Amino acid sequence: MALLTARRPAPGPRPAGRRPAVNARRAAGRSATHVLLLIGGLIWLFPFLWTLGSSFKSADGFFSQGLNPIPKHVMVSNYSGAWKEASFEKYFVNTVLVAGGAVVLTLAATSMAGYVLARTEFPGRKAVIGLISVTLFLPHGYTIIPIFDIVRGLHLLNTLWAVIIVQSSSSLVFATFLFMGYFSTMDREIEDAARVDGASFHQTFWRVMLPLSGPMLATVGLFTCITAWNSFFIPLVFTLSKPELHTLPVGMYSFLGQNSTDWTFLCAGSVISLLPIVVIFLLLQRYFVNGLAGAVKG
Amino acid sequence: MPLVDTAPSPPAHRGGSGPATAAPPPKAPLRTRLWAARWSYLYILPLLALLLTFVVYPIFGSLVYTFYRWNGIGEPSDFVGLDNFRQIAHDSIFWDSVAHTFVYAIVVVPVQLVIALALALVLNNKKLRFSAFYRTLFFLPVVTSPAVVGVVVQLMLSNFGDTFNSWLLDAHIIDTPVDWLGNPRIAMGIIILVGIWQTLGYNLVYFLAGLQTIPEEINEAARIDGAGPVRTFLHITVPMLRSVGLMIVILAFIGSFQVFDLVQVLTNGGPYFGTEVVNTYIYHLAFGGNQAAATQPDVGLASAASFFYGLLLIGFSVLQVLIFRSIAKRRAAGRG
Repeated sequence: MALLTARRPAPGPRPAGRRPAVNARRAAGRSATHVLLLIGGLIWLFPFLWTLGSSFKSADGFFSQGLNPIPKHVMVSNYSGAWKEASFEKYFVNTVLVAGGAVVLTLAATSMAGYVLARTEFPGRKAVIGLISVTLFLPHGYTIIPIFDIVRGLHLLNTLWAVIIVQSSSSLVFATFLFMGYFSTMDREIEDAARVDGASFHQTFWRVMLPLSGPMLATVGLFTCITAWNSFFIPLVFTLSKPELHTLPVGMYSFLGQNSTDWTFLCAGSVISLLPIVVIFLLLQRYFVNGLAGAVKG
Repeated sequence: MPLVDTAPSPPAHRGGSGPATAAPPPKAPLRTRLWAARWSYLYILPLLALLLTFVVYPIFGSLVYTFYRWNGIGEPSDFVGLDNFRQIAHDSIFWDSVAHTFVYAIVVVPVQLVIALALALVLNNKKLRFSAFYRTLFFLPVVTSPAVVGVVVQLMLSNFGDTFNSWLLDAHIIDTPVDWLGNPRIAMGIIILVGIWQTLGYNLVYFLAGLQTIPEEINEAARIDGAGPVRTFLHITVPMLRSVGLMIVILAFIGSFQVFDLVQVLTNGGPYFGTEVVNTYIYHLAFGGNQAAATQPDVGLASAASFFYGLLLIGFSVLQVLIFRSIAKRRAAGRG
């Protein structure tokens, strides 16, 4: 902490007078800002720190230690218990499949569509853009019942496919607009050069344009991954009666209802649910933050 | 919404092969143009198929269900006209859930925006080191699942709910122990608190993005003219943030009106519908699972409630935009 708040000494000689005092006051003010931000941040993240610590506590320690996040005796058995006995292994695999499937499906559908909408002309193009724009404004989340009906008609009820497809469709419009915006700013000469070299329409897209859209693939992929990983409502509705298909959030929810006394198992389960997505976010966060910022700035 | 206003760049070439300069003239027969664009249609097909099936059709599909009394099994056949809407309009639990949702939004949004803006102003300071680190720190709850957060909050309450109670009892602040999630008012307070904590990061990043659009020279000029931080904030930052700010407020309200996960996990809308929000109300109607819903699920009624609430929300968004527009106009008129 001392490392973070330490300030470099003011460079160079200063003219005589009040300057040193002002500088000292400013440095003190800056240190105070850092201290406040660090304390605030620690309080802000306390629920996570407490959960992480408590996941290593014994059942007795969980209650006797209260607010103290540091376990007295480190117990790793909570994790093996949650993983095996409380089926978190199954929930974890299901969540990975749902998030991975949603990412692949969303990226494929929206990058292709974004490309042709931004870079090609065809009868009906404006109508498609109009349709997409309108759906952006219609209220979502109130259509789960007809969606449920369609999924039943497709005989996909109580399958992970249902969760993947419905989850992907919830973020299609936003992702298509992001890809449209990205492809429309690309230099036209790149495409022309590819075509002069004899690349077909497909080669131009898959070999030239798509690889060049790496940052946008990362942004949309990360958005979709985080949303799908954390999604609760959609997997709840579509896997309600199939515990073996639960994702982590739904599994946690049903576990809470059934065995509400296995607190330390639940702490370990929370860490299993939260940690992977937090790590993925920390590794790729600039894509996420840039994408969000672009949404309001334009 | 800049995403929508953005006009696509002039198309580079037609969907088929051949360089852009050799594109068929606009008067070519439709068949030729359709064939030339065949790959464009193929590439847009997956998106359109998903969009029409799972986004567009359901919006109209739910309208059909609103006219039937239907428990969700088999085909709807019991046509009841507008009865479902009438029943929703007279259901006090529905209106209570609308009220709870609005209370949630009206507390969460302003509190969150003030904290987020203050934090963004501090972190936007170019001289502050590790600003990105702090941003990540305060943003982190956003990437976590509200459902899992709900479980974590329950775990924490189960642990030191009693400790807090004994502190409060010892300090003679309360006479009887507080039942944290069993008292509707306190439960709502907890839901609001967690809601603020979990979604503040979005607004922090939005505000930071907005602040970065303000050129440094303008702030510099104000400082040279002798404006203090307060005047700079009121006369430069606030006006320059207006368009981004409008977007942030609308997004924050839309998000708050859709609250579901937290309430479902923390209280399931209880006790006695005391924290029921519209989305949990609809969920309970359509899929059952509420303490009072031993009855059959009523999909028609649930659809009517969703449709009705959807209309309320559209109305609210339009109203919001109109209010902001008129404020902006009055300001502009006052100045000019």
